Amino acid sequence: MPGLRAAFDRRYQQWLDRRLPSVPACRLENRRLFIFPSGAGALYGALLVVLWLTATNFENNLVFGLTFLLAGLFVIAIFHTYGNLHGLELVPLRAGNGFAGQDVDFVLEIRNDGRRPREGIRLSYAGGESCEVHLGAGEHRRVRLSVPATRRGWLDPGRLTIASVYPLGLLRVWSHVRLETRALVYPHPVASGPTRQVLPVASEAGGASVPGREEFAALESYKQGEPKSRIAWKHHARGLGLHTKHFTDPVDQRRWLDWDDFPGLDTEARLSRLCGAALAADAGPGAYGLRLPGQVIAPGSGRPHREQVLRALALFGLPEVVR
Amino acid sequence: MEPVWQIPRPALFWLLFTQVALAGLHSDHLTLWLLGAGALVLGWRIQIYRGRWRYPGPWSKAVLVLLCGGAILASYGRLHGLEPMVALLWSGFILKLLEMQRRRDALILVCLGYFVAVTQCLFSQTPGTALATLGGVFLVTVVLAALHRRAEAGYWQPLRTAAVLLGQAVPLMLILFLVMPRLGSLWTVPQPRQGATGVSDLLAPGDLSRLGASGEVAFRVKFDGAPPPHNQLYWRGLVLARFDGRNWSRIEPGPLPGPGAPRGDGAGPQSREVAVERLGAPRRYQTIFEPSGETWLFALETPVPESADVTLNDDLTLTRATPLVSRWSHSLTSWMDYRAAVEGLGDGRRAMATALPGTANPRTRTLAARWRGEVDSDAALVERVLALYNRDYVYSLDAPLLGRDSIDEFLWQTRRGFCEHFASSFVFILRAAGVPARVVVGYQGGEYHPDAGYLIVHQYDAHAWAEVWLAGRGWVRVDPTAAVAPERIQTSVADLLGGERQFLADSPLSLLRFRGIRWVDRLRLQFDYADYLWAQWVLGYEYRQERLLTGWLGAWDPWRLGFFVLGAGALALLPVLLGQLRVARRLPRPPLEQLFERYCRQLEQCGVTRARGEAPRALAERVARERPDLAAAAAAISGLLEAGVYGGAKPDLADLRRRIRRLG
Repeated sequence: MPGLRAAFDRRYQQWLDRRLPSVPACRLENRRLFIFPSGAGALYGALLVVLWLTATNFENNLVFGLTFLLAGLFVIAIFHTYGNLHGLELVPLRAGNGFAGQDVDFVLEIRNDGRRPREGIRLSYAGGESCEVHLGAGEHRRVRLSVPATRRGWLDPGRLTIASVYPLGLLRVWSHVRLETRALVYPHPVASGPTRQVLPVASEAGGASVPGREEFAALESYKQGEPKSRIAWKHHARGLGLHTKHFTDPVDQRRWLDWDDFPGLDTEARLSRLCGAALAADAGPGAYGLRLPGQVIAPGSGRPHREQVLRALALFGLPEVVR
Repeated sequence: MEPVWQIPRPALFWLLFTQVALAGLHSDHLTLWLLGAGALVLGWRIQIYRGRWRYPGPWSKAVLVLLCGGAILASYGRLHGLEPMVALLWSGFILKLLEMQRRRDALILVCLGYFVAVTQCLFSQTPGTALATLGGVFLVTVVLAALHRRAEAGYWQPLRTAAVLLGQAVPLMLILFLVMPRLGSLWTVPQPRQGATGVSDLLAPGDLSRLGASGEVAFRVKFDGAPPPHNQLYWRGLVLARFDGRNWSRIEPGPLPGPGAPRGDGAGPQSREVAVERLGAPRRYQTIFEPSGETWLFALETPVPESADVTLNDDLTLTRATPLVSRWSHSLTSWMDYRAAVEGLGDGRRAMATALPGTANPRTRTLAARWRGEVDSDAALVERVLALYNRDYVYSLDAPLLGRDSIDEFLWQTRRGFCEHFASSFVFILRAAGVPARVVVGYQGGEYHPDAGYLIVHQYDAHAWAEVWLAGRGWVRVDPTAAVAPERIQTSVADLLGGERQFLADSPLSLLRFRGIRWVDRLRLQFDYADYLWAQWVLGYEYRQERLLTGWLGAWDPWRLGFFVLGAGALALLPVLLGQLRVARRLPRPPLEQLFERYCRQLEQCGVTRARGEAPRALAERVARERPDLAAAAAAISGLLEAGVYGGAKPDLADLRRRIRRLG
């Protein structure tokens, strides 16, 4: 009955969204916490039934007493398990960015302002790895949770599951918290071979240059082995020491990463190749620019430029804000 | 994917410790084989933990299971029955250790452990056992707590957790214990085999004297009114009417015809020869039986049982539907003045009551025949035999062994015996003379507790006497022992024979040995009283439940019980809840943080709201842009805060507070 199951899941998610809307940060209050016997709790329940039957059939009041003691233990465990999560605060700190197909990290802080240590708290995003933390009284702790990124664009990690079965494992208390945090996922990079776009463009100020003969660049102290033809003799004659003249050739190495370079591919494939090319260009010397339909990023280099290019690729064709 | 689960080191330690402890708890009914297998498995598990050995493969596991099953079958000779079942359970508990690769396995182990611990109470129900079992349950809880703790928390933390949780669970246990209804056995269950001492349904010379060696309690009785005098306390157990030349045994009695509880005048048709007339005042009492492993019960003459489980037989003894395997409390009414079978015995019954098969004891037979001719009534014959005992015989636990013609040897050679010798020879003589007679075994007398007023009947109070059928009087109790040693009936066997070597020989540590020392005797009686209360209020609680709760709640109905459970439960949980709230309360925040919050609130009133994560300095810069009039003050405050929080400086808090207040 996959249809029924899916419908149920959808209804449950809708109900959760109504009950626990997304929040910038949250404190785990009564409204947010759920508690139910765990698998071990069910086993324990079966044990209680067997013990009760034993006591009844053997008409043995000592077995009754011990059965009731264990039943009481279960009830007490409800309070302790619940108290283990109650009052904790969750604050999202930042989200790392990544490429589609990789894991993206979300960093959040879990704060215990209570007077009691909290044990065995398991945190996880759906599909991601879980991690277990223990907090001393008054301790704040940072937790890094990774979530697999499948598509480019904004990644909403969904509901954070925070759960605990401490102290006896008989009950599980949990909350599905929706924190306002998101990560930017860049397209999956695909290498596209050397780009042909090394364009000899007319020299402009600010262009890159390589050592050459055309333009005088600087006068530097003579180092052994430099050609004599380069020595600034006039300088030397004035008694200012032995120097050599250095020249450069202006080379325009600005590359253009162009949407139109990959004809015949669909949008995502183009973006993946552009992303791969951008990474390659960023690793090499020189500036690079990006031309997308309706958007041009002037050539540049450095970290902010790289971010800008990747962001444009990540969000191409997508609305800026998703939720 | 979940990482491979590794049992936390403290949990493994406590688990192994618990298994050893539970093996000790059950050592009485586990055989050496099983304990050896347990030690092997424990060693194996430790080696696995140290990385030396591996988990057993499917074949090794199968061999281990077969070995344990075979050992159980070989040692107990059967697989059904309580002892082999507990042994099986315990083996499962031990063997599961070698399969504990996931947390789930460990949890199954814990549940098995709880069950193994609790089964101890099926074998014994003394306060000591209860305490030991509680210890076992506590240890299993420690294991459960340790399984859900990280190893770094150490060995003692789980101990604390378990103690706190169980301690908080105790009030809930009490409420449930008081209120939960006891339904009674739903189906028949195997009962433990009791090697208990007690009166048996086969009486050979020397059997009862052996009971004189035991200081154990047989049962305790609490009378509703004043207790009867000592010499009337004949606790009838079994009527032994068949004699095979040496042993007296029971002819299986039928139930007394008519409704179970005839009151005085004839309620229903009764067969003439078992007709009972109950005379005088009824006497109601409650008896708490120690487990005897048998179905017969002991009661004063002509009892009427109050439990449907108990049948009144046509020889006026009581039979319980199932053997007594645990302490059991039962209320009865007896009419000690009665007449039974007054109108005569039928031929069948008369033949049974005079049968003396074989030709053993010829001398006694001759004597009986001679006396028969010399007296004119059955009653006179009885008097004559009693006079003989009174003249020439000695009452003692130390009776010589008797050969084939046991009665002849006793009467003419040894002349020394315990009650069974007298009762047996007495009935033999009467039967040989043609007078219907039978041996009755049970207990006689008892010890009154001076403070609590109940009667303690010990095993050494075991007694045998006779009942003779006399024309016009029906069955009449005759106690030959009273003829030879009247003190036995008037006071106590302990006072009479306390000096003999055999007395209490099986109970070397019994405080009864020091009855002469006043304070030791008091102590013994105090212990007995505690045991009595335990039996009354814990083991036999179902008999008091209704009366107790009716007394508390005014009536016994589901609504009141429900409200009682809710109210008492809330009271019991309140401290737990308050404790949780107390520890969940926030710690006081550092003063600088509090001041920063106040600062932000003040600024908010001035129209500048702090953005999330905005540092003090950035905030001040925004204030300078949006409220230039506050720029200087804000810059100063932000500077101080920043210096205090990040720079480690110790700002003047009062000054800072003043500055913040002045902002608004």
